[in-house]
Amino acid sequence: MNGRDDVTPLTCDDVREMSAAYVLGALEPAEEAAVRAHLADCEDAHEEIAVVGGVVPALAETVPLVEPPAALKGRILAAAAADLEERTRASTRSPSTGSLAAEDLNRAAEPRPFPTADERVARRPRSSTGTWLLRIAAVVALVALGGWNLLLQSQLNAAEAYEQSVAAVLDVAAQQGSLTAILTPDDGTGSGLAAVGADGKVTLAMHDLAPTSGSTVYTTWAIGGDGVPVALGDFTVGAGGTASFTAASSPVTAGTVLALTREPSGGLTAPTGPVVSKGVATAPA
Amino acid sequence: MSQADQPLRLRVASPADAADRAVLVRLADGELDALEELYDRYKTMAYSIAYRITNDTTLAEDVVQEAFLGAWRNAARYVEGRGSVKTWLLAIVHHRAIDAVRRRRPTTELPDVELPPPAALTEPDVWTEVAAVLDGELVRAALAELSDVQREAIEMAYFGGLTQQEIADRTTTPLGTVKSRMRLGLLAMRRHLEAGST
Repeated sequence: MNGRDDVTPLTCDDVREMSAAYVLGALEPAEEAAVRAHLADCEDAHEEIAVVGGVVPALAETVPLVEPPAALKGRILAAAAADLEERTRASTRSPSTGSLAAEDLNRAAEPRPFPTADERVARRPRSSTGTWLLRIAAVVALVALGGWNLLLQSQLNAAEAYEQSVAAVLDVAAQQGSLTAILTPDDGTGSGLAAVGADGKVTLAMHDLAPTSGSTVYTTWAIGGDGVPVALGDFTVGAGGTASFTAASSPVTAGTVLALTREPSGGLTAPTGPVVSKGVATAPA
Repeated sequence: MSQADQPLRLRVASPADAADRAVLVRLADGELDALEELYDRYKTMAYSIAYRITNDTTLAEDVVQEAFLGAWRNAARYVEGRGSVKTWLLAIVHHRAIDAVRRRRPTTELPDVELPPPAALTEPDVWTEVAAVLDGELVRAALAELSDVQREAIEMAYFGGLTQQEIADRTTTPLGTVKSRMRLGLLAMRRHLEAGST
């Protein structure tokens, strides 16, 4: 039995028999779904669920107490701050949401020429350093207000990491026959650069991404003329919000859309999450 | 329905509950310092539960981070009157910890990894907890009153993340017996807790 099985209807007696396992979280996903489906429709209040369920919170009181590491607080607050920033940005954009899937990915961003070598030199210090200086200044203000030393360190590390990632992208972009793309956020935060070498190797540098946790990943997709997203690989993002990603080979050609989605787990063959950022691979001007 | 099977008495809201709910309102408004306050209040319990279940410091940290971020994002969905904020928060921690250990166990039949976690893992039910300001000693005493097999079944489920079928397999016990042990064990605990809180 697994999460994809159809939900089998249960009788009231079945649910009573499974009540303890249900409240203890000891049912298989499909069994649990069947209980929930029954409870949603049943005229019986099934008070036995509340009777045994009321004891469950008490079990938590029996655990030996262990203090979490001090750094965990900083990571959680930094992740929440990034989440808040994403929400704020999303609320100031158009009401269209970054809903998922190929049709959205196919509504590709207008191709933007990658900056020329001169423009790259001129733009790089202005855009990245300027942005990060502002962010660092904001963090310094936060430190003054709340003493978030961990967050400050995280932002400084993130700035350095992003600079290194961009340098790796520019190295590939400088090669003969390479393609480049500027990834812009679809609805929220997360922007960066990508370069595709003549051998198909994709190098990506991103910043302002919401951190991942647990099994959550960002997945990179290539969408060619047939409109079918092809997964290039997954990566995770720490509290700093930056990421460097490399795919050994890819089917990317000029006009291919490179897109990021946020997914509940890695290894997917089709996108399920919202488009975070995307751009079109073009030959440098 | 016997007296023992009556629904639990409503838990009397404590000053801490009122303070927690005020924090949750601020959390729903996106106030970061409210998250910090909630974390400071429940970090030890949350981490202790996560560590007890996962027995892995890294995994426990991930679980706690996911749980607090889940509370941060879903504070507006907390339903007042269906348990305290503490119960709601720790139920999220418990569900995520169980999910984490099941994903780590190669022999466990997992939810499809290509699907998001089941709703129960992100939106746990919240039950009105027993009518007492519980302390660990009282609960441990209630747990100790159970028969060994009842306690084993409950602990394997709640702290081990095992399903009822897995418990039956590991203890070479018929599934129906495992179900009965868990149900009768929880009912016995409830009786002890209510007796101990009066």
